[in-house]
Amino acid sequence: MSMEFANFPYLTAILLSCVVGLLVILFIPDERKMLIKWVSLVFSGITMVLSIYLFFAYDKTQGGLQFVEKVLWVESLGIYYFNAVDGFSLPMLMLTGIVLFTGVLTMWELETRVKEFFAFTFLLVAGVFGVFMSMDLFFIFVWYDVSLFPMYPLIAIWGSTRKEYGAMKLTLYLLAGSALILPGILYLFVNSGLNTFDLVALMQPGTFTPFQQKFAFILLYLGFGILAGVWPFHTWSPVGHVAAPTAVSMIHAGVLMKLGAFGVLRVAIFLCPEGWQYWAQLMAVLATCGIVYGAFVGLAQTDLKYVIGYSSVSHMGIVGLGLATVTVDGLNGAVFQMFAHGVMTALFFSAVGYIYDKTHTKMIPELGGMSRTMPIASGYFIVAALAGIGVPCLASFWAELLVFISAFKTYPIRGALAICGLVVSALFMLRVVQRTFYGEKREEFDHLPDVTFGLGIPRMILVAVIVFFGLFPSVMLDVIQVASIPFINGLP
Amino acid sequence: MTSSWFQDPTLLAAALAALLPFVTFALIMIFTRPYPKLSAALSIAAVSVSLFCALFLLGSHWHLEKPIQYTAKWMISGDIYIPFGFLLDQLSLLMLTIVAVISFLVQVYSLGYMAGDPGFARYYAFQSLFAWAMMTMTIAPTMLQFYVFWELVGLASYLLIGFYYEKFSASEAGKKAFVMTRFGDIAFFLGLLLVLFNFGNLNILDMNSVDVTARMSPALITLSAILIFGGVAGKSAQFPLLTWLPDAMEGPTPVSALLHSATMVAAGVYMFARIFPFFSNSAAAMTTFLAIGTITMLLASTMAMVTRDIKQVWAYSTISQLGFMVMGLAAGSYFAGIFHLTTHAGFKALLFLCSGVFIHEYETNDFFEMGKYGGRGLKVPMVCITLAAAALSGLPPLSGFFSKEAIMGGLAGLHNPVWLWAGLLGAFLTAYYSFRLIFAILFPQKIEKPHHGEHGGHGHGHDGGHHHAGIYWVMAWPLIILASLTLVLGFFQTPLENFLVGHHGGGEAHGGHHAWLLYVAVGLALSGVGLAWLEFGRKGASQVGFIEKVEPISALFANRWYIDHFYRRFLDYFIYGIVSNLFTRNDRRVIDGGIDGICRATVGSGWALSFLQSGMLQYNLMVMFAVLALVALYFFF
Amino acid sequence: MNSLYTYLFIAALLFSLGIFGVFQRRSLIGMLIAIELMLNAASINFMAFNRFLAPDPIVGQIYTLFIMGIAAAEAAIALSIIVALFRRLRSIDIERAQELRG
Repeated sequence: MSMEFANFPYLTAILLSCVVGLLVILFIPDERKMLIKWVSLVFSGITMVLSIYLFFAYDKTQGGLQFVEKVLWVESLGIYYFNAVDGFSLPMLMLTGIVLFTGVLTMWELETRVKEFFAFTFLLVAGVFGVFMSMDLFFIFVWYDVSLFPMYPLIAIWGSTRKEYGAMKLTLYLLAGSALILPGILYLFVNSGLNTFDLVALMQPGTFTPFQQKFAFILLYLGFGILAGVWPFHTWSPVGHVAAPTAVSMIHAGVLMKLGAFGVLRVAIFLCPEGWQYWAQLMAVLATCGIVYGAFVGLAQTDLKYVIGYSSVSHMGIVGLGLATVTVDGLNGAVFQMFAHGVMTALFFSAVGYIYDKTHTKMIPELGGMSRTMPIASGYFIVAALAGIGVPCLASFWAELLVFISAFKTYPIRGALAICGLVVSALFMLRVVQRTFYGEKREEFDHLPDVTFGLGIPRMILVAVIVFFGLFPSVMLDVIQVASIPFINGLP
Repeated sequence: MTSSWFQDPTLLAAALAALLPFVTFALIMIFTRPYPKLSAALSIAAVSVSLFCALFLLGSHWHLEKPIQYTAKWMISGDIYIPFGFLLDQLSLLMLTIVAVISFLVQVYSLGYMAGDPGFARYYAFQSLFAWAMMTMTIAPTMLQFYVFWELVGLASYLLIGFYYEKFSASEAGKKAFVMTRFGDIAFFLGLLLVLFNFGNLNILDMNSVDVTARMSPALITLSAILIFGGVAGKSAQFPLLTWLPDAMEGPTPVSALLHSATMVAAGVYMFARIFPFFSNSAAAMTTFLAIGTITMLLASTMAMVTRDIKQVWAYSTISQLGFMVMGLAAGSYFAGIFHLTTHAGFKALLFLCSGVFIHEYETNDFFEMGKYGGRGLKVPMVCITLAAAALSGLPPLSGFFSKEAIMGGLAGLHNPVWLWAGLLGAFLTAYYSFRLIFAILFPQKIEKPHHGEHGGHGHGHDGGHHHAGIYWVMAWPLIILASLTLVLGFFQTPLENFLVGHHGGGEAHGGHHAWLLYVAVGLALSGVGLAWLEFGRKGASQVGFIEKVEPISALFANRWYIDHFYRRFLDYFIYGIVSNLFTRNDRRVIDGGIDGICRATVGSGWALSFLQSGMLQYNLMVMFAVLALVALYFFF
Repeated sequence: MNSLYTYLFIAALLFSLGIFGVFQRRSLIGMLIAIELMLNAASINFMAFNRFLAPDPIVGQIYTLFIMGIAAAEAAIALSIIVALFRRLRSIDIERAQELRG
């Protein structure tokens, strides 16, 4: 047994707080709803604090993998329980912590099947955390599937609007993705000849021939890409967003889609850098299509959640474009965009969720003048919409700036097209804001309460995060760069 | 670095001027939204500090030798370095002062104009946001910072234009302004990227140095200059992106004064001036800009001749004056463009603020109605608006006269006389439409008793209670200040010129002083006024302009040359109708349909196979037996 | 006559009869009897091989005893299933028990 533990096992602590939270919730009787919520809040709070602590405790001057925990699990197959963080995973961990905490707070008013809801949520998030921190291929795959499975009951039970269809579609798509990932991983495992799932060992240059890299990359890219909403495998995402309950939409769009993009980065790109360079052209085409296409389709939607769903497709296209550039700036922008988009969509869904809870509709033509009825809830949505448009001094602006700069440099035509997509996205976001929040207020919604202070807390946290990283982008970029610069420089 | 922050008064003043409004914005949005008075006080306090700092900076650096630059790291990614900082040179100091003065006056004026509005605190928050964005943009040391705050200015103006969001037209106008300027900004951004990749640096001082020609090919410079000019066209409402500006009048009138006189729309022209040496590297690009400026100016002037809405007139005149400034700059007379920007800021703000008093008083935007209800009874605004209109028309000795003459001088220096004639035609039209409005208010053909006094309750009657007098004077003082500026600013031409261009080496092509030009220009302006007098001013005038008598032309002008219709059609039919619709169908039918088809095929094949399952035990057994028999056969042979 | 092949032939005949019975009978009792026939055919084979080919260890005979035991157990289970089915369907006709039809 080889064991390396750096001081306190923070990463395991994050995982454990999800698992322990899950177990504790399972042992609380159904009727103690408030207790269940408080327990969820405490455990999600622990994960958030730990993940934020890790982000700031990471030693940027040293770089590399830190907070390493490595235990041999199955010797004959070379499977390790191997957790570590680097500049790519730290923003993702922090994002997951923030979104989980705010998601739990957002669902504070949930009354049906509270226990099961939070239990499934914790299971889901444990899987997400696992993927982000694991450095072992086997564990990445296991955690990945752990995070996919709870989506089905979460959407099918607590969802709305064609929930069975949405849940089924989402599950089928994601399992199809898994079905591509598993062969990819096994192919690499078998061909490495190292008999290990240890990502760091497999990452050594020269482990795989260029052909193997190209073959495995496309499997892994498509497999993970489905979860990242890569065009044209994106249609599960708007449908799933629409069907899911608020907190699940938040976690789903905010974190789960990042899981796909992160998988592309961590597994496909890390292991098959030559395959990455080979397929980058295709990635750029798909990403540009996604950006422009998502914005145009978003223009025609009448359901608030569909609009956000398609904006996610568009924004995840930006992540894809960043990854496709094979440059430091592109990677920086992509990872930053993953974070920024996660926080932004979480805010979106939490604002829409509130409005839907109160008005029982999310159809844009049935709403209108919400700024008068619920000024604070509308304010949150408008902030998210502005972030989505890419208004400066909000987090996603910097990410988009970096991605577009590098994309325009690498692929002038596709880059320019994607930049033009910005006009369309501005058009459709503002259109939604105008139709939903501006205009005459509606009599029938007059009596509805606005967001109270307590319910406002999660949204305030999200807004604060967006503005903070918008004003001080270097806090985020300095961490990401520690990983991206050596990685790009080490490319063959 | 941090210790010098508080020791260097220049840096401190610049930081305070630029950043304090942001602090107020945040404070108002987070804490003081429920307290309108406090919010307004905060905002005005911040902007007064900014004004004080700007004046201090201008005063202490009047004899600036070389630009002062402060930068600190904002963001580094790979080889992209984006600093945050301040660049203080003659141009930015002047512009900072203009912005601060106008912001301050508008915010004070708004105390009266916006009194009692339910969104009072929000209004001041947005004003602060705007001031922050605008001032930080003004003193940006790199084009990237410039671009960032340029976008923020766009955001703030979106929020301010759509301030009365319950009105559909207002929110529509805000959206239009944002999207149209966004359109130009995309070009701007692409142009900046071209410069960044080929020149490697977006520092304004470096871009203005001669290095550019050494490192970039002429074609590339022209391309990037034209792309960057896209941003100018968007923000400063140049052809073909000019139609958002008239709609933007849906915002509160002080907002129109703020946005459409000195600040937001002038930002485009300011940007032109900011990297003027860069632009002048490409003669082809400059000629393009000259043409765009000319087209814009003439189009907008014709539009202004037929509208009956007082704010629309000033909106069109703003566009045409911006076109005029672009002409001046593109003709190579750097100082003339800036000078016109400065004087225009004063008198256009004055025009809008005066109009605001009228609108506030009579609750109509139609200036013929204002006249009918006795608009001339409002002494201070009436005098001020006449003064400002005269300045706009370029009548001596008002500020507009001097700056227009400077631009005309620049145009006269060009080889092609077409530009000069276009400019003169523009001056004539300007005088005509400005005084059409003035005479319509001043000499209405019949006067009705203002009936608004009878609705009593809403407290807008101008012979109302004492509180009203207070509001009136809050609104009147900024007018008086601006009017005096309009009166005297023209005489500061020489000191300003020394300040701005003195250190540029005096290499300005002034085109000499053509005495005949002076007379022709003034004569044309006067004849414009005279024509307006004949048609609108004199006793028994028909009050129908010569354009309005020709139905098709008047319709063409009133419909803004159908540019808007074109955009509308394009948006409705092409974007919504074809592209968006097609993609959505593709999503539903092809992609989703394909996936659903696969699912249905799976379910269907299961259904088909289920017929084999008869449920008869013996059939199952038979199959088992047959299979076993076959396996056995296989192993035996 | 008293050769291995006689017994094998009888066993094969019995087995075929069993198979035929299982496939042909519609009554569950009939099918059960046919299955017993097949088991007996196997027993005869074991006995015959034991007697003619490997007489010394009596493994074949032991196997036959096992088969008899299993047949008894099987009959008990099968009969109880048939009784249960009869209670439900009021019949032991196999054609009535088609609930698994697709």
